Amino acid sequence: MNSYYLINLLIYAAVDAMACLGLNQQFGVSGVTNFGFIIFQAAGGYAAAILALPNQSANGGFQSYIGGWNLPFPLPWIGAAVVGGLIALPFTFLVGRRLRGDFAAVGLLVAAVLLNLLATNYRPLLDGDAGLSLIPGPLGGQFSLQSSRYQWAFAAGAIVVCALIYLFVRRITESPYGRSLRAMRDNDVVADSLGKNLLSQRTAMLVTGGAIAGLSGGILVSYISTWSPAAWGYAETVVLFAAVIIGGAGNHLGAILGAVLVPVGFEEVTRYIPTSNNLPPNLIPSLEWVAIGLLIVVFLWVRPQGILPERKRVIKAAGLPPLGPASSGPASFSPASSGLGPAGAMPEGLAPARPMLTSLGTASAVPAGRSAGSATAGSQPAGSGPAEPASLRTPDGLPPHSPQAAARPGPANPGRWPADREIVLAVVGVSREFGGVRAVADVSFSVRRGTMTGLIGPNGAGKSTLLAMLAGTLPVTSGQIFYQGHDVTRLPAYRRARLGLVRTFQLASEFKRLTVMENLLSAVPGNRGDSFRGALAGRRYWRGDEAAAVARAQAMLVRFGLEADANSYAGDLSGGQRRLVEIMRALMTEPRVLLLDEPMAGVHPNLARRIGDELAALCAGGLTVLMVEHELAIMDEFCDPVVAMAEGAVLAEGTMAELRSRSEVVEAYLVG
Amino acid sequence: MASFGFGLVTASVLAIAAIGFTLQFGVTDVLNLAYGAVMIAAAFIAYVINQLGVSVWIGLVGAVVACSAGSVLLNAGIYAPFQRRGTSPITMVIVSLGMTLIIEFGVQAIAGGTSVSYTMSQGPTVTAGGLILSTVQLVVIGLSVLVMIGTHVLLRYTRLGKAMRATAANKTLARNCGIRTGRVITITWALTGALCGLAGVVFAMDAGSFDATSTDLFLVLILAAVFLGGPGQAYGAMLGAVVIGLATEISAAYITPDYKYVIAFVALLVMLGVRPTGLLGASQ
Repeated sequence: MNSYYLINLLIYAAVDAMACLGLNQQFGVSGVTNFGFIIFQAAGGYAAAILALPNQSANGGFQSYIGGWNLPFPLPWIGAAVVGGLIALPFTFLVGRRLRGDFAAVGLLVAAVLLNLLATNYRPLLDGDAGLSLIPGPLGGQFSLQSSRYQWAFAAGAIVVCALIYLFVRRITESPYGRSLRAMRDNDVVADSLGKNLLSQRTAMLVTGGAIAGLSGGILVSYISTWSPAAWGYAETVVLFAAVIIGGAGNHLGAILGAVLVPVGFEEVTRYIPTSNNLPPNLIPSLEWVAIGLLIVVFLWVRPQGILPERKRVIKAAGLPPLGPASSGPASFSPASSGLGPAGAMPEGLAPARPMLTSLGTASAVPAGRSAGSATAGSQPAGSGPAEPASLRTPDGLPPHSPQAAARPGPANPGRWPADREIVLAVVGVSREFGGVRAVADVSFSVRRGTMTGLIGPNGAGKSTLLAMLAGTLPVTSGQIFYQGHDVTRLPAYRRARLGLVRTFQLASEFKRLTVMENLLSAVPGNRGDSFRGALAGRRYWRGDEAAAVARAQAMLVRFGLEADANSYAGDLSGGQRRLVEIMRALMTEPRVLLLDEPMAGVHPNLARRIGDELAALCAGGLTVLMVEHELAIMDEFCDPVVAMAEGAVLAEGTMAELRSRSEVVEAYLVG
Repeated sequence: MASFGFGLVTASVLAIAAIGFTLQFGVTDVLNLAYGAVMIAAAFIAYVINQLGVSVWIGLVGAVVACSAGSVLLNAGIYAPFQRRGTSPITMVIVSLGMTLIIEFGVQAIAGGTSVSYTMSQGPTVTAGGLILSTVQLVVIGLSVLVMIGTHVLLRYTRLGKAMRATAANKTLARNCGIRTGRVITITWALTGALCGLAGVVFAMDAGSFDATSTDLFLVLILAAVFLGGPGQAYGAMLGAVVIGLATEISAAYITPDYKYVIAFVALLVMLGVRPTGLLGASQ
């Protein structure tokens, strides 16, 4: 094995590993299936080429291209990364909340096919199908590009860049932000309903992955010194996907292993196949593609988690550092600074017992509060002591919601609410049509603060649809929704969640490949590490918030008796336990109004009662609950008032005892 | 006017392919990207039969039968087991991409990388209303019209068609209503596989010469037609095929042939971005 061969191998391995890391960050970690990944590598390659090349009239003018700035190293590589990232932006409209992931993937695949076609046919831009050649290598003026020392240095440089990218993606993935990305991967609708901005997260991942791909393309181009459309056919993306799937999607070391096994491995193995004149010319390359296709299908069947599966993130709650003000984030968003003191006080420190956001005005300060997180805790506004940070900001004039609410009559004696209790959620003439069928027809009612309002009705009455519209998961066909006096009808789900209007789902909706603890942590708002910048700032920047969140989650787990399963994958739990995880996770968002869709379905009656008791206690602390439930015993015991729906409309409203006495309600249930 | 004729033929080929694709996706819930690969396999099956000295029209029948059976096997052997396991739609697309490589390059491994053509006569040319079309082109248009009418009759007036529509709309509900959805899905694979085979052979006839990778770009046209009309919508696919077929050929005549697919590409991306349910699909 001569050294050129080894150098060649190392550089290709490094470039492929970079690309696989970028793809893994998108696909394995964030669930963004980018079938057009190769576009970004191609863009980086071209960018590096035209930045490094002299003007097109040089070299005898046999190529035509734009640019030709003749820039010195490392500008072409930097430019490659920048262009790779920028070119991702036009594609973000495909990955927003509305489009199915597989449709978006098809769109990106088609984009790859057609951009390749365009680059092939249009010569003036990037020299068409002939492609660019004689691209100068880095520092070509100072060193002899063919010398062994230069080549070794190039290989070492490529490996160093690859290692840096590994550290970079690991830093993102292992942060609270990475957890949000993985939550989005496991279930994007649920992540949306918990306050994750899917569009922003996906855009960040498209750009990040694009920049990494671009850089890998730039490095490759400056090594091989040519770049043409033949080098980046759409099928090259499939090779990278094969590598990530085989290595282990979601595990960055797996992605590197996959890069070594698939793109590099195939290149090397075919090198040893003797070329024979008896074979048709295209046979070996064709069979290579067949083998890659087979590898994908077989691996997805036999070992879908890959050779190195995503590892479990075990979070130990014991031995937490004491939580002082210094370790907490912005006052308005750090539960730890208010309710949660030492670990012993945890059960009292549950979310709704602490002051919460009281208005849109406060809540719209969320991003500001986050960016202010870079300030030290000592610079918090002097007036906002840890006890009641949000209560100072109630521009809508509503009485601030605070622990004093606990002094009001508790749910132990239901039906005694004064009718003038402030309305926290108002539904005005809301309708929803599905292809001509009116699932919800002109529904109006309101929910008063601190109540546990029930919503009953036969199957198909439109209860879940209504809940989905309230939370913003489904748009309304007509009508308006007011939350704390503000029209939220057009607000997307994640923004409503950030305002404290949070839902759970009728069907199991846990993040399967997150542990129970991670499921809970994923919902905590305001973690400094739960943003791209926060993640990049590193563990020291967010570990205070993280520790506080872990303490809260641990308290929640203790309270609901699930602490033994804290580090189990949520997808491995029983049905009842998963419901519980979902309720706990919703509570972790510090909701003001909690919309529960059949929270007790499949839950053992004893546990259901316990959940009910806990919710009742939280309502006493100021939480408002709107609960869809078929178990009328639960309604009898906990809910007042109860709204009865049938065939998309509200039939009646009152206590359960009142509803039982009304014939049309009973009839709807029995007949409908 | 000649470009209108070309457009009509392209639209006809596209309609056959797009109807098959959209029905396949709508009823079976598999976004089968290997559709283009199966098409080219059909073209080569007809070629092999044609090379034996038999008429290419016999080859066409052979290819249709083979693709029908092959699609049923593809589902029974690959897609259905993955779906039974609860594989996510996106992973299904990756599986279908893997199958694309296996089929397309399997064909290339056997057939070699060179372009081939059928041995066939184009028949006398016919001039009608300013259009000049060969007999073969007329036959292709005729076949396409037959497929459209057949699809309409199937979906509107037959029990099978109603069962297919019910399965597409809500599989669980359809099964609970007594529809044997498993059987409906198998029959759908057989039918759409047949359409795919037919589309592959007429595509090859229309193209003149073809190789194993010829349908890569045609798949883009199919996807554009399908998404323009709304995925799963048979009538939408017909409309989409006519629009995309005419638009690509006419733009090729008036702008430049190199970029004729760009229109399809733009149409597809706009539909995905603005109205993913398609022109004929329900709004969200």
